[in-house]
Amino acid sequence: MKGYKKYYFNKILWYLLTLVCAVILNFVLPRLMPGDPVASIASQSLAGVTDATQVQKVYAEYAAKFGTDRPMWEQFFIWLGNALHGDLGQSFSQYPREVSDILAKAIPWTLALQLPAIIVGWLLGNILGAIAAYMKGVFDKAVLPLFMFIGSFPAFGMATIMLYIFSLKLKIAPTAGAYGFDLIPTMSWTFVKSVISHYQLPFWSIVLITIGGQGIGMRSMAIYELNADYVKYSRFLGIKDNKIVGYVFRNAMLPQITGLALSLGTMIGGNMVAEMMFSYPGLGMTMLTAVTGQDYPLLSACTLIITIMVLIANLALEIIYGIIDPRVKAQQQD
Amino acid sequence: MGKVMLEVKDLRTKYITRFHEDVYSVDGVSLKIEEGKSLGVAGESGCGKSTLALSLMGYYFAPLHYMSGDIIVDGKTISGMDPDDVRKHILGNEIAYIPQAAMNAMNPTMKIIRFIEDVMAAHQIDMSKKDIYDMAKERFAILGLPEEVLDRHAVELSGGMKQRTVIAISTILSPKVLIADEPSSALDVTSQKMVIKMMREMMEKGFIRSMIFITHELPLLYNVTDDIMVMYAGRIVERGTAKEMVFDPMHPYSHGLMGSIIVPESGTREQKLTAIPGTPPNLKNPPKGCRFAPRCKYATPECSYVDPLMKDFDAGRQYACLKSIEELREVYAREQ
Ligand SMILES: Nc1ncnc2c1ncn2[C@@H]1O[C@H](COP(=O)(O)OP(=O)(O)O)[C@@H](O)[C@H]1O
Ligand code: SF4
Ligand SMILES: [Mg+2]
Repeated sequence: MKGYKKYYFNKILWYLLTLVCAVILNFVLPRLMPGDPVASIASQSLAGVTDATQVQKVYAEYAAKFGTDRPMWEQFFIWLGNALHGDLGQSFSQYPREVSDILAKAIPWTLALQLPAIIVGWLLGNILGAIAAYMKGVFDKAVLPLFMFIGSFPAFGMATIMLYIFSLKLKIAPTAGAYGFDLIPTMSWTFVKSVISHYQLPFWSIVLITIGGQGIGMRSMAIYELNADYVKYSRFLGIKDNKIVGYVFRNAMLPQITGLALSLGTMIGGNMVAEMMFSYPGLGMTMLTAVTGQDYPLLSACTLIITIMVLIANLALEIIYGIIDPRVKAQQQD
Repeated sequence: MGKVMLEVKDLRTKYITRFHEDVYSVDGVSLKIEEGKSLGVAGESGCGKSTLALSLMGYYFAPLHYMSGDIIVDGKTISGMDPDDVRKHILGNEIAYIPQAAMNAMNPTMKIIRFIEDVMAAHQIDMSKKDIYDMAKERFAILGLPEEVLDRHAVELSGGMKQRTVIAISTILSPKVLIADEPSSALDVTSQKMVIKMMREMMEKGFIRSMIFITHELPLLYNVTDDIMVMYAGRIVERGTAKEMVFDPMHPYSHGLMGSIIVPESGTREQKLTAIPGTPPNLKNPPKGCRFAPRCKYATPECSYVDPLMKDFDAGRQYACLKSIEELREVYAREQ
């Protein structure tokens, strides 16, 4: 048990160190973009004003309000102090909305879209990979390669094709958004129906892209396990083939959990393009508007969330593995 | 004469490779083992020893295929039986197997006791989990294995412990015949000794009633088995008691093999292996006539087209060479 604790202690230290570096980069990098977003907010409230000293004064007020008149390191500590209290500041591009308010509206859409899509894609991919390894034939020669082909599409290509086929040609799916633009979110049947029909294209585009990669991983793991020595030995002990196949797929599945955890961790960043192409109002879209609007506070907050999710996913993975896979546990104890 | 536990008559099996080629790795093997006896099988790597072990189980799956011959375990012919009946009633309780690569023989993500439970279930043995645990605990204790092993996963055990655990599991149903394929070859000397001691104890306690012990290291067999059989290119070339085979090998292949291994000073493994120049033939196209002819110092032109049959000589000894025992004794004596 001792080696165990030491292992996790070391791991957590490393994760904390990574988090610190990432937080600094998340803060600094957006602010290195050229341009002055404060000036553009100031200019909005100065519409029509031509007096130069008045302009100067208002600009200075905004700069002081956002703290952009201070040195970068000072800004960082102020931001960090506030962030630790849950205050992520005000958005530049959607001024005067709070960043936390914008995120709170966007995150549920992202989770509702991507979590099920990634899990469904992962499950289907693993089932397909297992079937391809065990039954071979058409699954191995045609179905899996087809999904690998589809999976290698860039997300925007996939979205464009789907929009073209289902929205423009067949006219069975809407082109953009999460619900009809003329509706207000309520629990009404019309609204729910609209949400479901808007859900289909972004959902299936993510599922389709996920299947191939997970499938090919599962296939090679399963083939490796099917040829393992324990398969032959178990057979000669009289154990039934279907039971042995159970051992094989369990063992092949365990490393695949890495794939799932990584997709979940990177889901926001990884599938941002899908959200953008379908104008889905999740974190991906929010990030896009933050980048185009030079919205440092919003951008830093988005990247911070992504960083934390990736780190949590990795750490969780490590801990879960230690529990469910004795092969990994044995390594961790060394 | 004791009761015959295992009798094999002219067994032939082959591999069919991915490229649809036939490899005749067991090509007409006959043998007999009596109750309480052990038989060693020796030969260089690639001679077909592991394939013989698999073929004796009577349970075939690709790429190995049964061709002909009989396998009779304690009076019951198992070759030609329905595979699922073999699985349920023969494997494990009549004839059991210890694989060459015991290091990875057990499912790494499963507790040993769960694996034993599955073995029991596979043979439709109706026992509660607790009874299985108690039975396994007792068996492990007799064989000198700690009880904790039962609650461990295979990956958590050391090499020697894994090997002994595999042996204990293979024999948990007290089979009549145990076939052990190089059970100690991959181990350090201490673990080797423990494994061999364990095999002997199992025989004494009646957990197994006869045994085939396969190895490429002959000195090992001298202390372990009653008889020794030498295998070359899918066939048996000589059989006798361990003592006779070690001190008075007759077939030129056995002679070369023993000679090359018994010289202890010139010690290294490499030297041992190259002691007979050349390597065993590829069994896709075995040589005509005597299969050892291309490597045999004493070969005559006749050897490369006449196939030598197994012949009896002395009391219960057999060999397969065209030369007579007298001729062979003479050439060996001249060489000394
Ligand atoms: N799965 C297989 N497919 C085809 N040929 C095989 C296979 N396994 C072994 N062979 C061949 O069968 C012969 C005997 O191999 P093996 O029984 O492993 O010998 P040994 O155990 O004496 O080293 C060798 O020529 C080897 O190349
Ligand atoms: S039959 Fe000929 S080749 Fe074969 S072992 Fe005897 S002497 Fe050598
Ligand atoms: Mg072998």
